[in-house]
Amino acid sequence: MAISESASREPQTSQQTSQQWLENEPAVEVVGITKRYGQVAACDSVDLVLRRGQIHGVLGENGAGKSTLMKVLIGLVVPDAGQVIIDGRPSVITDPIDAAAKGIGMVHQHFSVVNALTVWENVALGDQDRLNPQAVRNEIGDLSRHYGLDIEPNAIVGTLTAGLRQRVEIIKCLRRSPRTVILDEPTSVLTPGESEALFEGLRRAVEDEGMAIALVSHKLDEILGATDLVTIMRRGQVVANLPTSQSDAPGLARAMVGRPVSLRSERMLADRPLADRPTQAERAGSKSGLPKPVQKTASLEIRSVYAQGDDGRSLLNGLSLAVNRGEIVGLAGVEGNGQRPLGDLLSSLLPVSQGEVRVDGHPIVCGKAGAMARARISVIPEDRHDSGCVLEMSVAENLFLADPTLVSRRGVVDRRKMMDRAQGLIDRFAISCEGPTAPMWSLSGGNQQRVILAREMAHAPRVLVAAQPTRGLDVGAIEYMSSQLRQAAEEGVAVLLISTELEEILDLASRLIVLSEGRIVGGMDRDQVDIEQLGLMMGGAGT
Amino acid sequence: MGALLDIIGNEVTYSSAMRFAVLLLFAASGEWVAERAGTLNISVEGMVLAGAFGSAVGYDLTGSTVAAVFVGSVAGFLVSTIQANLSHRLPADQFVVGLTINILVLGLVGFLDNVLEPTVVRASQLTIPVLASFPVIGPALFDQPWPLFLVYPLVPAMWWLVYRTRWGLEVRASGEDPNSADVSGIHVNKRRRQTIYVAGITSGLGGAYLVLGAVGSFADSIVGGRGFIAIAAVIFGGWTLRGSVAGCLLFGAVVSFRLSLPDQGYDGINTEFLSALPYIVTIVGMALFAHRIRPPAALAKPFLRGLN
Repeated sequence: MAISESASREPQTSQQTSQQWLENEPAVEVVGITKRYGQVAACDSVDLVLRRGQIHGVLGENGAGKSTLMKVLIGLVVPDAGQVIIDGRPSVITDPIDAAAKGIGMVHQHFSVVNALTVWENVALGDQDRLNPQAVRNEIGDLSRHYGLDIEPNAIVGTLTAGLRQRVEIIKCLRRSPRTVILDEPTSVLTPGESEALFEGLRRAVEDEGMAIALVSHKLDEILGATDLVTIMRRGQVVANLPTSQSDAPGLARAMVGRPVSLRSERMLADRPLADRPTQAERAGSKSGLPKPVQKTASLEIRSVYAQGDDGRSLLNGLSLAVNRGEIVGLAGVEGNGQRPLGDLLSSLLPVSQGEVRVDGHPIVCGKAGAMARARISVIPEDRHDSGCVLEMSVAENLFLADPTLVSRRGVVDRRKMMDRAQGLIDRFAISCEGPTAPMWSLSGGNQQRVILAREMAHAPRVLVAAQPTRGLDVGAIEYMSSQLRQAAEEGVAVLLISTELEEILDLASRLIVLSEGRIVGGMDRDQVDIEQLGLMMGGAGT
Repeated sequence: MGALLDIIGNEVTYSSAMRFAVLLLFAASGEWVAERAGTLNISVEGMVLAGAFGSAVGYDLTGSTVAAVFVGSVAGFLVSTIQANLSHRLPADQFVVGLTINILVLGLVGFLDNVLEPTVVRASQLTIPVLASFPVIGPALFDQPWPLFLVYPLVPAMWWLVYRTRWGLEVRASGEDPNSADVSGIHVNKRRRQTIYVAGITSGLGGAYLVLGAVGSFADSIVGGRGFIAIAAVIFGGWTLRGSVAGCLLFGAVVSFRLSLPDQGYDGINTEFLSALPYIVTIVGMALFAHRIRPPAALAKPFLRGLN
């Protein structure tokens, strides 16, 4: 039985592999894929066709739904609705191994290689037959030559540059001879030369073997340079689908960023065109009657800071910026361009190799625990669970975690004082909880964020750094957070808003600066915003 | 100075050191495999004790040292199945499980020892001709009770398993980066369970050696924390097999001083100091090497699919 079964299957498979691929035949079709996370639709009935022999660009901002869509294709996300059709057959993809078996491979943005192992060991990892180091090394050699991806099979992956680590991942993916390959932001860690080599290799794979490639990217020039077709996504939907030859950078930038309208600004400003909207300065002025800016000396000044990560990778690359008293400066940029290191720098977590940070003109020691906080820089961290609060502790404990001296005497916490003060902050910031003793985990995300805000504002900061302050919050919570940031600025705090959501920045900031590859590549006043120019800068093409 | 040379030149020093080092080598070689997969397996102490008691009972029942060694390794394996399945299937905290197992085994063995009262003998001496007459270290290495000789193929076998097989590659990936291993199609927790079984078997052999090779009798205090010294040897060795072996030999030698130095007539040294010496050396060794060594990145971190 087993023999006849395998015998009957064999001609079919060999037929399949020897079959000449047809030009532009669909390899993978996505029909009406919808995936919701709570209220938010990460993907909203998305259609996409990846054809053999083509490189298909998928362009969009952070949170546009690109990654979710690709995760559906390799079985990491189960869609709520919709269908994936592989080679004409409707398929259910259960996990990445299943996806590989169905001919879909993915090169991840965050590498899935094991740093402690060698190149060939990583490539062989997951094989089902006996380990044959020499055969694996030979295969790596063949693949390297074929696709122009040169690599030393015996090198320890952790000692390689990011570009070479990615190369390992690509080789690992290609070795399983996939018919469809998904590359998620493949060049975000590569040098221009490396990127060029990568795209040459991909083009060869597409033309010689009829591979279908999905290139997920936010970089306009690489979409324009490397793809045949481009699909633009925004807020979970496909907004445009066109041949790359019929598009240009300004057009793509416009389609990607879209017309910046948000719920909150809509409510306040109806539907006025961008240039007519009042800036934060005007808004603050009209509300309080104060002239703006309050003072023109920079409260926070960062002067050409360079910093490297543990792996020697450059995190901040000559970053300079200044934030004045009473203004909100919005730091725009695509995620992974230095937002996190900047937040770490201002939380005293990151030592610098060069450059300095000044508050009100006084230099602050970088990387020394507590130095930034003592200089009255308050930080609302990017990931509130990771570094913002302790979920197992109470609201009151979380409120005074950063500076218990406020409620203690000679090292002993005065419990009554802590509860009284906590209740005061709970009232002032309208934190919805069962009281100061409620555990932090019992609060909603928005209220957890209020606790963090309350804690940071309790220090009477000179500088407030808000990193992705509204991520994952609902509309009401977003509005509250926005109004609090405005109020802080009105009170004379220098606010640095780090956000990957352009709408948030356009809504709050009086001045925009754009972060790309660890440095500021440009800036503009809020009332002179040029969306196209902004999109180009964020896409690394505007400079 | 002369005394020191005397000690270094005396073959009793080496025989005695070897006797203590071998128990550590058995336990540490399996422990090393388990740690490379990401488990800091503290129940190794209980596994050794179970192996020791199992071999004592095995000998008492069969009168055969070969059968006794076999029963000892089975006893170690049985203990390891508890650790493996509780910490990498359920998953309970591996340290809580390990601590509980150590206490449980100690209590159970104490009880059964009173009930069964197994009697044991030392296993027969095996002398390798020519090699055993090698000066100074010959008798220590090649004129010993036969279960000791099991350690010679065991250690290289562990190296081969971890560095030369697909299983070993998957074990190392599981200990370094379980998420990447998972994406590559590896059953991380299954591999981790299997490495704990390996540790159970080698620790059981170590216990059997302790009873049949080193002591020749059983008492429930026989292991006396040396399972933990085996863990320290793996850490001391920087999670390499070579380093772990070096750690076992060093710690074994230091442990043996307490007995071998007074035996050789050096009774001027404070015996309490000699008793404390292994632990002092362990702490000093860790302090010296801790900053230079890098543990498996996911050591002691449970792997739950879909958490990331």
